[in-house]
Amino acid sequence: MLRFLIRRSLGAVVILLIISAVTFFLFYAVPRDPALLACGKNCTPDALEVIRKNMGIDEPVPVQYWHFMVGILAGREFAAGDCPAPCFGYSFANQDPVWETILDRFPTTVSLTVGGAVVFLIIGLGAGMIAAWKKGTLVDKAFSSLSLVLSSMQIYFIGPLVLALVVYNLNLLDQPKYVPLTEDPVGWFTGLLIPWLVIQIIFTANYTRLSRSSMIEQLQEDHVRAARAKGMSGKYVFFRYAWRGSLIPIVTIFGVDLGSLFGGAMITEWTFSLPGLGTLAVNSVRNTDLPMVMGVMLFAATFIILFNIIVDAAYAFIDPRVRLS
Amino acid sequence: MSRVSIRTARASLAAVAAGALFLTGCSSGGGGGEGGDKSKAKQQGQDVSYTFADEAASQGPAAEVKGGRKGGTIKVLQRDSFAHLDPAQIYVSDEGSLSRLIHRGLTTYKRVSGDKYQVVGDLATDSGQKSDGGRTWTYKLKDGIKFEDGSAITSKDIRHTIERTFAPFITEGPTFVQQWLANTGGTDYRKLLKDGPYKGKHLPDSMLETPDEKTIVFHFKEPQAELPYALAMAGYAVVSEKKDTKEKYDKKPLCTGPYKIESFKSGKSMKLVRNPEWDPKTDASRNQYPDAFDIQFGVSFEDSTKRLMSDAGENQTATSFTNSVDASSMQKVRTDPEIKKRSVSGYQSYVSYMNINMDRIKNKKVRQAIAYAMPNQSIVSAFGGAGGGQMAGNYVSPTLVGHKPTDPFGKLKNPQGDVKKAAKLLKESGKKGMKLTFAYQNAPEWQEFSVAATQNLEKAGFDVQKKDIIADTYYDQIGKVKNNYDIYHNSWGADWPSASTVVPNLFDGRQVQDGAANYSHHKNPKFEKEMDEIRKISDPNKAAAEWQKLADKILTEDVPAVPMHYYKTIQLSGSKIGGAYFDEQLHDIQPTSLYVKK
Repeated sequence: MLRFLIRRSLGAVVILLIISAVTFFLFYAVPRDPALLACGKNCTPDALEVIRKNMGIDEPVPVQYWHFMVGILAGREFAAGDCPAPCFGYSFANQDPVWETILDRFPTTVSLTVGGAVVFLIIGLGAGMIAAWKKGTLVDKAFSSLSLVLSSMQIYFIGPLVLALVVYNLNLLDQPKYVPLTEDPVGWFTGLLIPWLVIQIIFTANYTRLSRSSMIEQLQEDHVRAARAKGMSGKYVFFRYAWRGSLIPIVTIFGVDLGSLFGGAMITEWTFSLPGLGTLAVNSVRNTDLPMVMGVMLFAATFIILFNIIVDAAYAFIDPRVRLS
Repeated sequence: MSRVSIRTARASLAAVAAGALFLTGCSSGGGGGEGGDKSKAKQQGQDVSYTFADEAASQGPAAEVKGGRKGGTIKVLQRDSFAHLDPAQIYVSDEGSLSRLIHRGLTTYKRVSGDKYQVVGDLATDSGQKSDGGRTWTYKLKDGIKFEDGSAITSKDIRHTIERTFAPFITEGPTFVQQWLANTGGTDYRKLLKDGPYKGKHLPDSMLETPDEKTIVFHFKEPQAELPYALAMAGYAVVSEKKDTKEKYDKKPLCTGPYKIESFKSGKSMKLVRNPEWDPKTDASRNQYPDAFDIQFGVSFEDSTKRLMSDAGENQTATSFTNSVDASSMQKVRTDPEIKKRSVSGYQSYVSYMNINMDRIKNKKVRQAIAYAMPNQSIVSAFGGAGGGQMAGNYVSPTLVGHKPTDPFGKLKNPQGDVKKAAKLLKESGKKGMKLTFAYQNAPEWQEFSVAATQNLEKAGFDVQKKDIIADTYYDQIGKVKNNYDIYHNSWGADWPSASTVVPNLFDGRQVQDGAANYSHHKNPKFEKEMDEIRKISDPNKAAAEWQKLADKILTEDVPAVPMHYYKTIQLSGSKIGGAYFDEQLHDIQPTSLYVKK
């Protein structure tokens, strides 16, 4: 296990280096000048030169990249202040320190992602299990049909609909907002409840269908039938033998989904005007804000890679037949 | 409709993407909430007036708003966060609205009634005393003006405020006063004070003089009749000499207005609370009704529109300083009586133009043909109809002093263009069938317009080659002097209510360079001479009339660009917000008159 983790961690570093280089150089491939952003209304070529110098983008791109990467490991000094490691620099758009900004936005995205995942896992797996247990009945058919309909929904479609109904017309809940969990647990829960439920609607459908089919498959496995033949109760066999085996494909897809939910938080955050990493990423791209784009990209990539490593490791835990190699 | 965007460096812009409008000091427009839309009147050339006020008109306190009451918190929904808080870095309208609440300068604007505005003394006792034919301007500071820390504002702070705009880290704010003091264009003024005032050097008294604690004297080489307008820009609001932290001031400025910053989480929220050091007796144009403003960022136009239309819960005490009603809801807002009464509307400062690249299209008849063929109504429709804009007959916005509703190409008579006349002119030019490269932003509005424009141009006899350019890079592409396009649109807004910051920027041949706003590359020494002459006129109202005349002459004689439309906007507030009106100078809702109803 340790060898596996070390090997995967080294691989992750290489992947992150590639992502950073590709992002950095692609940024400059677009015919857009970040200095224009800070040049005021009556901009002139000589004013642009002053700004490029201030931003440090008057140097060749490889040199800038080198300084950026060194800053992450060793820190840098800027006119706006010292920037200790890990230093991603200061925003071109508003001179905010990138790392602090990311840390400030991270809890919103984590709360949104993890909370949403908990809700869709509970509801999705539960519905799938019941459908498998009641295979062929009206309950099974109802769950299966519903999951088909819901899986075709999109957050940017269903989000405003839920807001219009629950917030604007029925006044059941306040506008979604993020309040830190440590400051106000109740406010945190109620503020994010609508986004969680909307995320849940989209993802639950997949988990219902997947867990149902996986469970039905498991219930037909030899070892499960043998357990039943030995006289164990249906309930015991269901949870002790079939359920654990049915989790393997769920864990695989959950790892991918959690990563994509994290990476795709921008749509959810945008829909509900939540200040997380997703909206930060969108605004940074819009503003040609290279340091912020790089920071968010590397931060998100690190988490997605981390999720994948955790998922791989989790295989071995759930199913001892899987060996890490 | 979508606002004219901005924040990309250079001037104009009409991107839906980026953000706030450049802050402009001009104009007028049909105020909705209080008096309906006055655009029709403006089209007929009535209205807008600005005067430079004396000491009596500059004294506080400001007139009470009818029904105004103290207390409560106003929720403010904003799309874009404030990129800058240092006054010297402020040039966009989002921060301009904020500046009204937290910053003060030597002069500012005061609405007297309806379309009547005055430039009054803000920190100064009046709008300025000029002498030497407008080359020398003297300002005296009021008594009782303080920073939020209680320290008195003196002439040294004003000197410091001006001198620090020469420092290399100040790059985004206005540059008018610096250029006038140095009597140079571009950024040459920086050579006068390379490090700003930070290494002990100062501007000579022959330029900027502070004979005592209360007096500031500006000395210019040329007459500067419009100095009171320029000093009213947020970019020249006062900065404390003692508490200036250079780059860091942008995050934590000392406030002087009726509110100060309690907290600011960039991209998330800002809370403004009462500034106890602000004395209403010193302020002729601001009120201080709510206890606080609770500003939330990251709220799209669609989201803020839906929230404010719903008027549910906390949205009843909500508004937005600069978010417009989004195009899809504009019709509903204009027709639903309950929502309409909570709306205000008026002109933005921007005018859209179809530039004709004069380096490539040298034949005047071809340019005239393009002008006649343009379907101006189509761009108004694309921006949401009457609520989003109004057809333009000439280059000068109705928001500017001196505006006349001239219409040399008959745009108002032929809203969809005069294709027959265009075809005739093109035939006469001998260029029928010529290729015409038409570049436009890939924003939905311009894409929609491009279809109608292309149809007209092709009917007139052009072989149109459309170039759909990514919105984010559009102005980089058309800003290059050696570009490969024949026609392309841009937008431009004045910095104060005079075309002196429009006509030269767009049509002075001495300003043709990469990134400059003379996108048509128009050069005509005759007109450049006239521009120089108009600048010398000491009466701003007389000068304004001359700018309009010159703009019309450029349009009819050279046709470097086709005026397309005047941008307009609609804004909403919750039902418990009182005092809302569309400020025709700010081009947005006026934050200093708002209060929370019982």
